[in-house]
Amino acid sequence: MQTSEKPTDGVQAMPPVPAAPVNGVAGRPLPPITAPKTAAEPVLLFEHVSKWYGPVIGVNQVTLELRPGITGLVGANGAGKSTLLRLATGHLRPDLGRVTVRGRPAWSAAAKRHVGYCPEVDAFYEEMSGRQFVLTLARLFGYSRSEAEDRTEEALRAVGMMDRSDKRLRGYSKGMRQRIKVAQALVHDPELLVLDEPLSGVDPVGRQEFLELFRKLAARGKCLLISSHELEELEKLTDHVTIMARGRIAAVGEVLQIRERLDSHPMSIRVDIDEAAGGLGRRQLAGLLLRLPDVVGVELGEDEELVVRARNPRQFFEEFTRLVLEENLEVRHLEALDDSAGAVLTYLLGGRG
Amino acid sequence: MPVAPPPPQRSVVAPSAVRAWCYLVWLCWVRQARMRQMVWIALGLLALTAALIGLNTLGGRWDMGHWRWPWPPKPNPPTLTFEEHLERLAAERKAMPLVPEGGKLEPAERGDRAYYVTPLPPQAALQDGLLNSLRATLNESGFMVFSRWAIFAVFVSFLLPIFSLSFATDAVGGEREGGNLLWLLSRPLPRPAIYFAKFVALLPWSLGLNLAGFGALCLAAGRPGPMAFRLFWPAVFWGTLAFSALFLLLGAYFRRPAVVGLVYAFFLETVFGNLPGYMKRVSISFYVRCMMFDAAGDFGVQPEKPSIYLPVEGDTALWVLLGVTTGLLVLGMWVFSRKEYVEAT
Repeated sequence: MQTSEKPTDGVQAMPPVPAAPVNGVAGRPLPPITAPKTAAEPVLLFEHVSKWYGPVIGVNQVTLELRPGITGLVGANGAGKSTLLRLATGHLRPDLGRVTVRGRPAWSAAAKRHVGYCPEVDAFYEEMSGRQFVLTLARLFGYSRSEAEDRTEEALRAVGMMDRSDKRLRGYSKGMRQRIKVAQALVHDPELLVLDEPLSGVDPVGRQEFLELFRKLAARGKCLLISSHELEELEKLTDHVTIMARGRIAAVGEVLQIRERLDSHPMSIRVDIDEAAGGLGRRQLAGLLLRLPDVVGVELGEDEELVVRARNPRQFFEEFTRLVLEENLEVRHLEALDDSAGAVLTYLLGGRG
Repeated sequence: MPVAPPPPQRSVVAPSAVRAWCYLVWLCWVRQARMRQMVWIALGLLALTAALIGLNTLGGRWDMGHWRWPWPPKPNPPTLTFEEHLERLAAERKAMPLVPEGGKLEPAERGDRAYYVTPLPPQAALQDGLLNSLRATLNESGFMVFSRWAIFAVFVSFLLPIFSLSFATDAVGGEREGGNLLWLLSRPLPRPAIYFAKFVALLPWSLGLNLAGFGALCLAAGRPGPMAFRLFWPAVFWGTLAFSALFLLLGAYFRRPAVVGLVYAFFLETVFGNLPGYMKRVSISFYVRCMMFDAAGDFGVQPEKPSIYLPVEGDTALWVLLGVTTGLLVLGMWVFSRKEYVEAT
């Protein structure tokens, strides 16, 4: 599986791509994680895509290629994940750039034949049973009745709903509804599966079943783009993640590589303490911070703002915590000024953003 | 959970877009059958209107016999109704001598019966003529009264748009509100085709409700009803198509299409549709009425003041309704193909 920011051979129309995603505030890009090029056409391609909702930008200059395999998509609330997924499934059109599925505009009807979408929204034809629902959506692809029935049974078997799908949907649990959503996404055997929080509401056993299903689909050459808040679950599934922050791609690549790069890339952190409470002034604190091995620089602004530049953020925060306890400091504010790195760090540390 | 089996070998049968579209039409038609609030409201209004019309029928109120002239009626001497005028004339006629002064009865035979004939005196002949014409006018006045008051003022101005709205706004608007639009938009069907399928699926219900509702009102009207239905159903048909196209477009564009549709029906159609001069020509119901005037012109059904109402010919009205239906349908397909339904996805 390849997840790459760079144009690959064969995508000749694609303009030059920046070497690394640029973060939003500090302007310091994360070092790129290059991936080997392959000759195959990407299944899903974003080319300098931007999307606005009125004055609010949802996605900002995103360039991304997806090929067969599993890619996790993580990011804080409002990072742009849902917008990205809607662009990929053709429910939104980009204001700038283009989104293509196997070379076809994602908005077009032809592209949707290759896409299976499991949305986060919980809406069904409630009067139908699960089987009828999946069958109906299969028929809307243009299959004959017998073909659609066969595919429906396969899809229901794959998600473990063979013997439970004759009840009306309005009586289903959250997990059962989620399974039906995944089933309808699989029924036409698409090349690209876009799954928005597919594990939401699913019990632990069901989650394992889904993870196994997704691995099998990837092994069959499918391209899966899975958006989730659960980085731990995604890490069980794939090494390759795309981390979004404020509408931009903050990092793309293997989690291990991202961690390593983050550790070696200095990060700017704003620290604000209550001088009166701790008895230690900012200048004194700056002196103490400079002694920490991971700190490469400290800036004290005119308004007494303290900004620390440190490598190995996890190591730094451990040492900073020790310093806070030793000196009895009252920390009023601690903020990563580097959006991308902050977002990446948040997820790598297991936060939800 | 059983292990996901490898995909079975199956014969490669390409899915058919035409088959998908036809299935979509059927699906939308079936889903329209679910009764919704607006449909219940429409049926309630139909029942109420039919009941009122039925009461009028039972009371014999459709003809002009109970009307008085001049209006307002004068108490002293009391103004008679047309029926009372008719009875008075009939009584006067009866009181007239059969044989005029100086005349005589002449025997005659027709078959095995014997008759006496005499030339009618001029006064009696005139009275007979007046009686017959007044009686014929009153007998046929029910159709005119029913047309003017029940069909034009109530059905065309109010019920026809409401009945069309009750199904049409829900075709796309209901799916948006329910969050189900995303399932259709995720299928490999061109968006204009989806919209057109919605329109085709909607028509049986809109036409059924409007024509059946119109038929029910004509049935409740008694004697003038069958003629009214026979003459006016084409206008109802074409008006339904135009209103359905309009409200389907509102459903595709606005988040609350029922509200917008009601504002349109109560404001544009009712107010503009009754303004003097050319302003009324922006309303669909104007053209529906013009078709009806054209169909029933021979039966005395005309605008009260044609020089102010300025009706168009029936053929012109039909072409306008056709054009409006087609134009709104094409516009709706364009809007639907461009609009991003963020809330529905």
